This record gives sequence, structure tokens and C-alpha cells, in this order.
Amino acid sequence: MSAVLDRLGSPSLWRGVVAVAAVALIAYPVLYDDLFYQNMIILSLVFAIGAVGLNVIMGYGGYISLGQSAFIGLGAYTVGIATTKIGGDPFVWVPAAGVVAALFAALLGLIAMRTRGFAFVIITIAALFILQIVAINWDSLTNGTSGITPPLPRWDLDYQNWPFYYSLVVLLAASLALSWWIRRTKIGTGLLAIREDEDKAATIGIDTPVYKIIGFVASAVFLGMAGGIYGYYLAFIDPQGMFDIVISVQIILAVILGGRGTLWGPVLGAFLIESVNEYSNQELGGGNSRLLIFGGLLVLTILLLPKGIIPSVRDALERRARRGKAALVGARLADRRPLNGKPRVAPAQPPRTLLEVKGLEKSFQGVRAVAGGSFEVEEGTITGLIGPNGSGKTTVFNLIGGTMKPDAGEVWFDGRRIDRLSPWRRAYAGIGRTFQITRVFGGMTVLENVVAPLRSFSLAQLRAGAVSGEESARAERLLEFVGMAEYGDQPAQALSFGQRKLVELAQLMMLGPKLILLDEPAGGINPTLVARMADVIRELNEQGQTFLIVEHNMPLVLGLCDPILVLARGECICTGAPAEIQRDPRVLDAYLGEDFKLEEPVAAP
Amino acid sequence: MAAGASRGHHDSGSRHHKRMTEFIQQTAFGLLIGGVYALFASGLTLIFGVMKVINIAHGALLILGAFLTFTLWEQLGIDPLAAILITTPAMFALGWVLYMTMVRPLRSAPLSSTVLLTFGLALVLEAVMGLVWGNNSRSARPSYFDQSFDVAGIVLPKAQVFAFAIAILVLTLLFLFLARTWTGRAIRAASANTQGAALVGVDIARVSVLTFAVGVATVGAAGSMVSVLYPFLPGSHYIWIARVLSIIVLGGLGSLQGAAIGAVLLGLAEVYTQTYVSTEWATAVPYVLIFVVLFFRPQGLMGTRLREDVAV
Amino acid sequence: MRRYTVRRLLLSVGVVVAAMLIGAGCSDDDDGGDSGEPITIGVSLPLTGEFSQPGKAAKQGYEVWRDTVNEEGGLLERQVELEIRDDASDQNTVVSDYNALIQREDVDLLLGTFSSLLNLPASAAAERNQMLYVEPAGGAPEIFERDFQFGPFFTQQATAEKQGDLFVDWLLNLPEDEQPKTAAYPVLDDPFALPVIEAMRKKLEDAGIETVYDEIYPVSTSNFDSIADSVKSENPDLVANGAQFDDGIGFRRSLSKVGFEPKMLFQTNAPSFGSQYSDGVGVKNTEGTFFAISHTPDATTPGNEEFVQRFEDEFGEPPAEDAADAYASGQVLQAAVEEVGSIDDQLALADWLRDNTVETILGPLEWEDTGAPIGEFLIGQWQNGKAEIVLPEDAATTDEIITVRPAAE
Repeated sequence: MSAVLDRLGSPSLWRGVVAVAAVALIAYPVLYDDLFYQNMIILSLVFAIGAVGLNVIMGYGGYISLGQSAFIGLGAYTVGIATTKIGGDPFVWVPAAGVVAALFAALLGLIAMRTRGFAFVIITIAALFILQIVAINWDSLTNGTSGITPPLPRWDLDYQNWPFYYSLVVLLAASLALSWWIRRTKIGTGLLAIREDEDKAATIGIDTPVYKIIGFVASAVFLGMAGGIYGYYLAFIDPQGMFDIVISVQIILAVILGGRGTLWGPVLGAFLIESVNEYSNQELGGGNSRLLIFGGLLVLTILLLPKGIIPSVRDALERRARRGKAALVGARLADRRPLNGKPRVAPAQPPRTLLEVKGLEKSFQGVRAVAGGSFEVEEGTITGLIGPNGSGKTTVFNLIGGTMKPDAGEVWFDGRRIDRLSPWRRAYAGIGRTFQITRVFGGMTVLENVVAPLRSFSLAQLRAGAVSGEESARAERLLEFVGMAEYGDQPAQALSFGQRKLVELAQLMMLGPKLILLDEPAGGINPTLVARMADVIRELNEQGQTFLIVEHNMPLVLGLCDPILVLARGECICTGAPAEIQRDPRVLDAYLGEDFKLEEPVAAP
Repeated sequence: MAAGASRGHHDSGSRHHKRMTEFIQQTAFGLLIGGVYALFASGLTLIFGVMKVINIAHGALLILGAFLTFTLWEQLGIDPLAAILITTPAMFALGWVLYMTMVRPLRSAPLSSTVLLTFGLALVLEAVMGLVWGNNSRSARPSYFDQSFDVAGIVLPKAQVFAFAIAILVLTLLFLFLARTWTGRAIRAASANTQGAALVGVDIARVSVLTFAVGVATVGAAGSMVSVLYPFLPGSHYIWIARVLSIIVLGGLGSLQGAAIGAVLLGLAEVYTQTYVSTEWATAVPYVLIFVVLFFRPQGLMGTRLREDVAV
Repeated sequence: MRRYTVRRLLLSVGVVVAAMLIGAGCSDDDDGGDSGEPITIGVSLPLTGEFSQPGKAAKQGYEVWRDTVNEEGGLLERQVELEIRDDASDQNTVVSDYNALIQREDVDLLLGTFSSLLNLPASAAAERNQMLYVEPAGGAPEIFERDFQFGPFFTQQATAEKQGDLFVDWLLNLPEDEQPKTAAYPVLDDPFALPVIEAMRKKLEDAGIETVYDEIYPVSTSNFDSIADSVKSENPDLVANGAQFDDGIGFRRSLSKVGFEPKMLFQTNAPSFGSQYSDGVGVKNTEGTFFAISHTPDATTPGNEEFVQRFEDEFGEPPAEDAADAYASGQVLQAAVEEVGSIDDQLALADWLRDNTVETILGPLEWEDTGAPIGEFLIGQWQNGKAEIVLPEDAATTDEIITVRPAAE
């Protein structure tokens, strides 16, 4: 028994299962002329195409859309209207259906760009119902509640379903291919990053609005085509049936039940859902029992099996496989390999200003966090930024990095003014930052975390493979550099805090930044790791990397940074070399208050 | 189809007067119904404020309240508006149970889970109501149902006026409860800052279940009113959830005052659209409002932004 | 290792394909039954949902017909069995119901569902499966404009746009001072209600009656107060409301609420529901309301008396219009099958109906090639708490026609 279970974990077995299922699917109508089951499979295919598409925006991207059936409706109406008003075979118009659905998805994406979470769900619901109402009222185009009857297929009853069946199989294959391709390129890692932590994703160069639109369009295009075929198949296209929110719910349920984020989960879920649908229609008389079953299934799945079937099975098998073995992440810190890179271009002489902050102001409902802060960072330095708690250091980082906009003041970087730019544009310009409480994408592997950042918004970058190819090779080298190479395929959430810091740093370096902002790099980690951090920083700096570091660990700061900026009560009160700062009375006053005087200067490690 | 055509042979003064009268009449309709909408939306706003849960089953709970009231009226002859005294505590209890079994386990789950869960719950409720009461439309018809007050040429249907008065009363009680009692203040504290409230000794677990139950109870009261004002059937919950979503988006999530104002605005918008634009498009009003508001002013009139704030 | 697994893969695929081939070869080839076996007739009806009231009535009508036929020896000497499903007033469900009935249950014949909204897709499903489609309650003209071969045949006297004809003719023949001068047309967005009122409006407008209100309200409308008030503010002499059931009742009551009583009131559907209508709006509010109807229990058409008697015996109350229409559908189907002599050639059955007239409890029914009936609808009016037939004269149950509603005076 346990041998059988062990076998269950092997990927080749599952590949075999998929191959067998695919062959059976393709052979079925040839061998069996049972129209009833062919009908069931056709409906399952439509659901599957919807679910695979939804998985892109919801499973990968984390954005729930309750409006997917809108694309079915749009596709069906496109085909129905075109074929009755213009003419031609309905199948000819199917690609147009996909285009219409994609356009609508892009439009909705543009509108919904500024919304998140609840707001997005609500907008998708509203969009669906508005479309339904438009379909009902614009009766010169859609024939209103009377619906459209496309020309009926007139070929032999025995083969009648074949064109519908096989065209849907092709569409399913295409949407699976798209989903698979997205997942293994940086588009996929970007979507996952958005799902895990959208604000952080923005800081590593992911143009979140555009990604979301791409994801949404990808979810719509094949479903629109499937909708066109579906409408033709049903022989009746009407607002109630085509813009039905219960179908949206069924598609979501298929994704959740099968396993969101997986490739085959949505397909499995769709076939299961359609079986339940038919069962409740035929045996239980449709209507209320169908609603009861689907509502109940939705509730139970979320309460009891929130990850879905495939991930749960996978997890169970994995847990079994890992029983008795120590987790890799608990092992000792591995060695790191020094960077054998070409030395960077030496900074110009005299050293030029890389970052300039002028008169920054930021208040939070009356509390002035940053009040007229102004300072400069020279290229090629490791500049320290210190100050007591509440002096506004992290806020300054937020303002430089772009996650907050200043109330007043300017930020200049590399000769350009950047305070109006979005976080990803600042990343493209060459700014990378870490966070005080380290943020990595927990649901992605360590390697995926490091591959995710986008150096520039280009087709080449987007298309780049995430698990193989140049980008991932580069990511692996960076992981070796920080000493995390062995953890490449571990989920990032399993890492310790210190390990996450190293991964976050590797992420930044993927961007090839000109300036790295480190927010308390030594906070909360053991001295060995602190030393490693310092080594890494020094080594990078020798190659020309500029740093701006916020730190409380005085020995580290005094030993590593020169110059040091001191921030207090929202403004920069002085700047200078470590030795000067230690003795400056204003600094002491800000940190410790008047009563306290240092006995002797603090020595560097 | 064309909208109402010319008005026959009247002089312009009288025509103007007629238009004014009709405008005031329609405004009266809108305001009256806005009061009921406000009561309906208050529960959802309260629940969202404390738990950050958007309860999509709110519409279905409203219809459930309506069905319960209908049965009380049909079987026992209890006046539907008086039945509020029964439905409110009954729905309070139901809210308690629902929270404990379904919402509480998902406390730390992502928002997607609660949205989908409550949607599933809405479907289950719709199905159960259909199985128990059937899918025909009902409405409670007490004696005053078809009667109206005539105030200076303006018709005010009695049922609407009574419902409005009771809605104002219940809302006032709710406001007082939140403002003057310890529990109410605890709820407001938890709504403003859950962690902070916990730190100063507010029992968040108890406040959560209480808030949810109170939210559902107000829906019970609103449901009793709906049973008299509109014919309803199990499938009616969709249009109601559309309305409540539109109201909280308009008024701003988490703000009771905003919800009240949003409710009245929605009532007026629906009535004006029905009269001056076209009856066909009146049902689109809540959805269009959602779009417009979320696009131009996501925080609504006076609430917290629906966009999540930047993290540290 | 790789070669090993690829070989295994091919082997397992081969095994599965072989299994499927064997399975396909062994599967039943169930032909239709021989004589002696019952004839199954597949039906889907809205037993729940928006149309559940008339849906249940239709079911009763079909059942009475089945019992009548079986008692007389059956159809082609075979007993008739009904296979009835609930489509929950949903268009998708009705399609999957008929598909399942045809493809899975292998029914021999079909009978239609209730409402134009549902018969539109259902008839397409029947046509796709190349089966005759006879339906009792789908009069929207759209249904007959699709060039189908196997139907659909509507077993009432006229399609929607003709149902108000007799009423309009009577109205236009009234003396000048009794004729309405202005009219309002609030209509439900429904494929049946719209054409009825559209046709009436055109004829009345052509005759000089001014349209002062003309609006379509969506199915989801639940508050009719403001619509009723808009109508009231135009003060029309005639109000013609295209409705189904619930909205007809809702609108009628809102008229009372806003205190408006038009001189003449015509409503589709709702007033034909007998006591359900008078309970819903209040008996005193029914007085003088006109409606169109296809059947009355008092008619002297062949078989009607027996039908009404049998219905009352079985169900304890006189048959609603929809039950009678369903019974008539059964009669039509029966006639076609018996005259053609077999059930195998569905096209032959359809062609026979095109060329012949069938005597039913609704009177003689005959059809255009499209399946649209050629005939005249009855017009009814509520008088003294009772629904009477007033037009045409030879079918009238009362001599009087109220021209101005007493409440309006």
C-alpha cells in the first residue's frame, strides 16, 4: 500500500494519466454516439476553458472575477449577431468573438486598474449585470428577451456534435498552452508576485496595472471564443442564459475545487462541476436543488478544502515523502560564493550626486513624519541614515522608492526628477529597496522570487523563462552570491527571517540597480548573518554599487557607512563621517537626550 | 419605445405646475424608499467596519426576513410591520449562528474566501427559500396596503410612510446604541482599529459575533418592511445585493452616515431614472453608480478607501 | 529509465483505447419500442419559478389528456406515458431538459412548455433534434419566423400580435363620445406581452387615439408606484398593460395606491387567472377590466364539456386557461399521429398539421406553414366579480360590455 502511495508522487505517472485522459477525450465521439454524454463533455469543455482562463487572473494573480460569464455572453452574442445580421457560418465568426471578449477585458481592466480586492470583485459583478441589462434593452441589436436563434446545424444527427466538440477541445488545448506558457515566463512570476504582495511587486519593476490587464485579457480571449461556439451549439442566445452569474460561480468553483494556481486543477474542477450540474438537473429536477448544491459546495469547499483537490493531494503526498527528514531550510547557513564579476565602471571623479532629496514633506493626518528633509547621496558610497525611532526614516525610503507620494518636495535621481513616477518606473531607473519587515513572495519558490523582478518593461523581459534560460541562470548566480543557492526550490515562506533578508537582497540585485536602499538590514538577525550582510554590502560596493542604509545597529553603521546622515523629527540635522557623527552633540541629543553623555566613542568592529 | 409624449392641450402654467407636482411626488417616493434602503445597508456597513467582511448574503437574508414576516402574516394574521418585533430577534439569533459556523473560521483567510463563502451562502438561502416557500412572488397585504395619505396633492402610500417611520426609529436606536452604550463604543473601537481595541481590553471575539448578529438583525427588520412594500421571491436577492453594494460604495465602506446618505441618493436616482429617463434602464442604476464611483472617487462620499493602504 | 516510462505510457494508452472500442461495440443499440410498448411523450414545464402557476395548470391539462386518451384505447393502440420535467422557468434548463428527454430518455414524441420565453429555445432544441414540436403557450411572433421544418405549432387561436384584435375592433366601432381619446401603454419586457400591446398601439394610433405614455419595464421591476404615478399624471382614458402574472397584479394595485382609475383598462394574462387574479388585486378592483383569453369552461366546442367535467373530478376546480391549452395540444398531437398512422416520420406529422384543421376544445385550429395559427382570440371582461367572455358575440357568456369602469366615474 505504501509502495502504491509512493508511486503516486511520481510526475511521470501523472503525465501518463493526463495523456490517457486526452486520448479518451479525443476518441470519445468517434466511438460512442451517445449524444447525452457528448453534450455533457461539451459543457464541461466550456467550463474548463473558463476555469483555465480564470486561473490566470485568479489563481496566478489573486484577483477574483465574478464576471467571467460575461465573456461567454459577449462571445455568443458576437457570433449570433454577426451570423444573423451579416451572414456567414457561425464558426467563421468565432475568432471575432475572442477579439470582442479580449477588448472588453482590456477595457474593464483599464477601469478596474485602480481597484483592488473587494472593489474589483464588485466591479466584475456590476459589469456582468450591466451587460445583461444592455443585452435586454438594446433590442435592435440583440433582440432583447426574445433572444437570437442562430442558423441550426443541418448535418447528420450522428455527427452533429463533432464540430462543436472538437473545436472546443482545440480551444481548451490552446488555453492550457497559454496558461502553461504564462506560468513559466516572467509574466507568470509577475502575476504571482502581485498575488502575494502587490505593493512589493511594484517596487521590483512589475508594472502592476499592465500585468493585471494582460492577465485579465488572457482569461477572456479563449472563453469568448468558447462562448461563441456555445451559443451556436445551444441554438438559442438570450440575456438571461448568457450573462448568468451562476455560471460565473460555477467557473470559480471549478478553479477552487480543482486547485487554483495549478495547471490541471481547473480542468478537473470543471468536469466535476458539470457532472454535479447534470446530476442535479436530471435527478433532482434543476432549479432550487441546483442552487442548493452549488451554494453548498462553494461553502464547503472554502471551509474544508480551500486549497482544492490537486494541491491538497500534492501536499499530502509531499508531507508523506518528507516524513522523518529535516527540512532543508533548517540546515546551517551555506557558504556563499563571492561575486566574480567585472568591476563596475568606477564612479566619476569628482563623485557625482546620485540621489538628491529636496525639501520632502509628508504628513499623516496631522503627524508630520517628514518635514523638509533634504540630503544627497553620492555615487559609489555606502551612506548611512540614522536617527531615533519616529524620525521618519522609513517614510523617507517610501518616498524615494515610490510607495508613497510626498506632500511637497522633490526627489532627483541620476539627473532626473522621479517623485512623480510609479514605483516600477523608479525600479527601471535603477532604485531598489528592501523593507524593514522583509517582504518576499511566500507562495513562490526562492528562485522564482529572484527571477520575478523586471529590469525594464520589454517583450524580451516578459517572455523570458522563469525556470530555465538566461534569467533564471542569472538568478541562480545571485543566489549563490548571497549563499542561498541550495534553497532555490523551497517556498519562500519556509525561510527564516535572516534567510529572507538574503533573498530580498538577491531580488534587488536582479534589477541591476544603481542605488540600493536597505531598511535595517541587520535588524532581527544573528551576528553571523549580520557579518555576512556586511560582507555582501562591502563586496558589492567595491564593484561600484551605491547604498543608502537605514540602521540602528551602531557598530555596523559606524564600521560600514561613510558618510552618515542623521534624521531627527523629520529633518536631516547633520551629516558627516562616522567619527564626527559619534561626537556631534546634536546627534547625541536627538538619540539620547541631554542628560546622557557617552563615556567614550564607540569602536567599529 | 418612446417616452411619454405630449401632454395634451394645457396651458403652460398648468403644465409647469403638473411637472412640479410630479417631481415632488417622485421625490417623495424616492425618499421614502431611501429610508428603508438605509436600514438595510446599515447592517452591512456595521459588519464590514468591524470584520472587513462584505456579506454578499445580505440580500438573501433580507428576503428571508420578508418570507418569515409573510408567513407570520399569512398564518397568524400578525401585521407585517409589527412583526419586526419577532423577526429582529429571530434574525439576530440566525446571525449569531452563521457567524460562529461560517464566518469565524475564516477570520484570517484572504478576502476572496469570505466573498465567495457569503456568495455560496446566498445561493443556499435562495434555494432553501425556494424549496420551503416556492418560487412565486409574494407580498404581505395588510389592510392599509392599498391606501395612501393625500398631502397637498401628493400621494404618500401608507405602507411606505409607516415603513419609513419605523426605519428612522430603528436607525436612531442603532445610532444611540453605538454612541451611548459600552458595547456600542466597543464596536466602534473595534471598527476603527481592531488591534488597538484588543489592547485596551475590548473582547474582539465577542464584539465580532455581536456585530454580525446585530447587522443581520437590522436586515430582519428591513425584510419585514420589504414584505409589505414589494412583491418578492427567492431570486430577488440579486437586485438587493446590487443595491446595497451600490450604497456602500457611494457612501463609503465603513461609514454609517455615508450609508444613510448613499441609500437616499440611490432611492432618488432609481425613481428619477424610472420617471425621466426610461423604466427600462432603472434596474441598471445601482450598477452604473458602482462603476462611476469606483472609477472617480473610490472612497465614496465619506468612507475609507476601498483601495488598501500602502504597507510599511 | 525514460524509455521504460514511455513504453508504459503507450501501453496504458493502448489498453484504454482498446477498452473503449470494446465498450463501444458492446453498447446497446436500443431501437424504439415495438407495438404494445407505451408511447413516451417528453415534456418540460415551469413547475417552479416565474411561470410556475400556469406551468402547474399546463401539467394538469396534459395529465387529463393522457388519461382521456388511454381510456379510449391509447394512441395507435399503445398507452401514452408522459415524462415531465421541471425547467424552473429557466431557458437554459428547458434546453437541457428537452435534450435529455430526446437523447437520453429516447422519448417518441414531444409536447411543449409554457410561455414564449421558454418555447423559443425549447423549439430550437426540438428542431435541432429533428422532432415535431407542438406547444400550448408560446404565441410570440418570433417563434414562427425562423423557417423551421418540424414546427413549432402553437395550439391557441392566434399569435400574440393578433390577440387584442377583437377588442380593438370593438373599441373603434364605439360611438365617438364613448371612444377613449388618449391611451397609456406600460408593458413588461417579455416576448409575448410586447407584441400584443405593440399591435394594439399601432392600430389605435392609426385610428387617432393619442399615445400619452409608452414605456417598457424590466422583468425585475417590483415597485410599480412610480410607474403608476407617471401613468396617472397623463390621465389617459385607456390603459393597456402588457403583463404576465405578478407584474400585472403589482401594477393594478399600484394604480389603486396612487388613486387612479382609468375609464378603460386592458391587461394581458393576469386577469385570465380567475380567482388568483381577484384575490391578488381585490375583487372590487376587477370590475370592467378587459383581457384576452383562449378558452372558457362554458364553451360548447366539441369535447369541452367532457374535459371540464373530468378536470373538475380530478382536481376539484374548473380548469384554468393554460390547462385547457395544454389539453388542446394533446388533441392536436393525437390527431396528427392518428391520421398519419405512425410516429417514426416526424416531418410527415408536421406536414400533415400544415395541411389540415384539428377540432379541439378551443375550437377548430389550423396553421400557416410557419406553425402560426389562423384564428381569433376571445376577449373577456370582469363583471360582478366574475370573468365573462364578451367577444366575439357567438362565444359571449354575457350580453353586456362595460364601456366605462364604474370606479372611474
